[in-house]
Amino acid sequence: MASVASKLYSDDVSLLVLLLDTNPFFWDTTSTTFSQFLSHVLAFLNAVLGLNQLNQVVVIATGYSSCDYIYDSSLTSNVGSESRGSGMPALFGSLLEKLEDFIGRDEELAKEDEHVDKIAPSLLSGSLSMALCYIQRVFRSGHLHPQPRILCLQGSPDGPEQYVAVMNSIFSAQRLMVPIDSCYIGTQNSAFLQQASYITGGVHHAPKQLDGLFQFLTTIFATDLHTRRFVQLPKPVGVDFRASCFCHKKTIDMGYVCSVCLSIFCEHHKKCSTCGSVFGQSKLDGANASSSVNDRKRKAPDS
Amino acid sequence: MPQVKIIAKNFMDMVASLTAIKLDKLYNNVFICEAILRSLPPLAKKYVLQFLFTDEPVPAKDIKEWVLADGVSKHGVAIDRLIQLRIFTETVVTVDRKKETCYSLNPTFQKNLQKHIISGGVLPREPMNSNNAIKLPSLQELETYALQQWECFLLQLINSGQGEKLTGISSSMMKVFQRGLLSQRDRDGPRLTESGFQFLLMDTNAQLWYIIREYISNAEERDVDPADLISFLLELSFHVTGEAYNLNTLTDVQRTTLKDLADLGLVKLQQGRKDSWFIPTKLATNLSVSLADSSVRKEGYVMMETNFRMYAYSTSKLQCEILRLFARIEYQLPNLIACAITKESLYNAFDNGITSEQIITFLQQNSHPRCADRVPSIPENVTDQIRLWESDLKRIEMTQAHFYDEFPSKDVFDGACNFTRQLGGLLWEDSKRMRLVVKSEVHNQMREYLHTHSK
Repeated sequence: MASVASKLYSDDVSLLVLLLDTNPFFWDTTSTTFSQFLSHVLAFLNAVLGLNQLNQVVVIATGYSSCDYIYDSSLTSNVGSESRGSGMPALFGSLLEKLEDFIGRDEELAKEDEHVDKIAPSLLSGSLSMALCYIQRVFRSGHLHPQPRILCLQGSPDGPEQYVAVMNSIFSAQRLMVPIDSCYIGTQNSAFLQQASYITGGVHHAPKQLDGLFQFLTTIFATDLHTRRFVQLPKPVGVDFRASCFCHKKTIDMGYVCSVCLSIFCEHHKKCSTCGSVFGQSKLDGANASSSVNDRKRKAPDS
Repeated sequence: MPQVKIIAKNFMDMVASLTAIKLDKLYNNVFICEAILRSLPPLAKKYVLQFLFTDEPVPAKDIKEWVLADGVSKHGVAIDRLIQLRIFTETVVTVDRKKETCYSLNPTFQKNLQKHIISGGVLPREPMNSNNAIKLPSLQELETYALQQWECFLLQLINSGQGEKLTGISSSMMKVFQRGLLSQRDRDGPRLTESGFQFLLMDTNAQLWYIIREYISNAEERDVDPADLISFLLELSFHVTGEAYNLNTLTDVQRTTLKDLADLGLVKLQQGRKDSWFIPTKLATNLSVSLADSSVRKEGYVMMETNFRMYAYSTSKLQCEILRLFARIEYQLPNLIACAITKESLYNAFDNGITSEQIITFLQQNSHPRCADRVPSIPENVTDQIRLWESDLKRIEMTQAHFYDEFPSKDVFDGACNFTRQLGGLLWEDSKRMRLVVKSEVHNQMREYLHTHSK
């Protein structure tokens, strides 16, 4: 009797988990300020909440070295009266407060690390897993729940060292049938987000400029899963399937793959560092002996 | 549950049927705009959102390109709805000497929604400060109060013959609500009709909407503008449950309305030393939810046994009354109603126009969680027997007929038989004694036939 379908609200009720990139190293480099960006996002959240009384929004901040829940619309049904009257959007008073706290804490943590001059990646893997945990909890509690989806608003570049964790999150999202939408606002492109949306059936979009971000967000990402079946949405033109190697965390398009556990390496090893299988030597020994083609590479499998 | 949608949709039809001036006036209220937005079909919501910051009219052709081929019918429904509610206005613009239909958003509606989305949800009115309110009921108490009040109302609704006066609803108002649910037979007193039983089967939100709809359609007889009433009800749904709001902030019409709503359990009225206030209950704040979906699915309470005995874990008098419609109540314990389904009790129900399918769906929908997990939730022998008893009553079918005998010859008789069989009007024949029965419809043709052939 209690099939999955019967546990859902019948129509277009959605639970949106928004992963907000608060990486200071990224926001330092953009022409749009973080506060401008935030005003677009808050309007978008208001719009999502306005579409249906049962809609729910959860915001997770993705910082440089930590991430945290900063807003949950199901918890703040009673609007705090303190924030009202200050001209601030009443609902999001607590969000802004928590965000400020979070950024402060994140800065403290970041000070301990030494960073290089290029933009440091933010902790996407952490916030993705937090989002999935939250959704898992929603699935297990109660008998009626909204349809969940994740939206990554990411600007910082990918962190190749998070490759395994991010991929694992993507696959568990796929298993849970939770689509990951992604909106990439940085200058490069993000292979992680492209793959995430591609694998989970979400939408990936990288707006060229941030002035009309609200319009992009509402047009594309406010569309609930029910409506998506019959509207035109941006289709992926090409997905960057490049992987990171497990040994040096570099993004590569050619490499060695362990035939037992499918771990990826950028150079030849005698033994797989993940599963411990010993790789065959015969052919490579011959190759090594005959010439200096040390860096002969094999193509990594797609996806 | 499908019924909820039908009723909620009808409510929006009522809004749509208001005159243009009244609708435009309604859109001056931010909360109406919000509630209307929520009631729209998903695709229409999307269109509104996309148009929100567009000032220029958008060609209809362009909008159509947003949807895939599968969605064309949905697109049509969405656009129709938007135009019906005057959210979209249709204009014809000449571009390159070609006429094109364009749509633009109602400016008042647009402005209000923009404001709402940028500045976030504001409350329709300030709640009273908690320190000068004497004692507010807890959310739990409030919910019990609301449900109690609602059950009281329903009980009075179905039992008006017994003359108990439980709520403050005037009897004329009650008559309005009962219209369509009870059939007035002079001798036996009012009886529940088929739609009345269906009404009892619906969940609380759907029932509430039915009543509210009747209440609004009756508004003009009480010299109240339906538009005002609709706007007040929708506004009410944006108040915070369990907060107290001062009655001084309301108009006179709203205050009288509020008294009726208190009888339905939508609000609780309280009086302090100086002023009085109202506290919206969950029923009120759920009003705009149920426009789109039924959110509260009640937990079942009925356990059906294979020996036709039924145990209902309920303290409610109303549920007892509902069960009495088709079962024999044997005894009642503080938290349990024990009853049995018998042939007599079911005949009684069928007599009132309740069908076996309705009874079975009622039992299925309300079965106790422990039984609901089992498949089937109601023992098969019971459901079969209920159906059988109903078909027992339908064993005899009456048809107006004519009887013919004393045919002059066997040939004439056979000819007449074939003739009526071709017309599909032969009911019975006895070729030995040359007698036959035909439907009344073919009687005239039969007479002509016999006239021409018996000579």
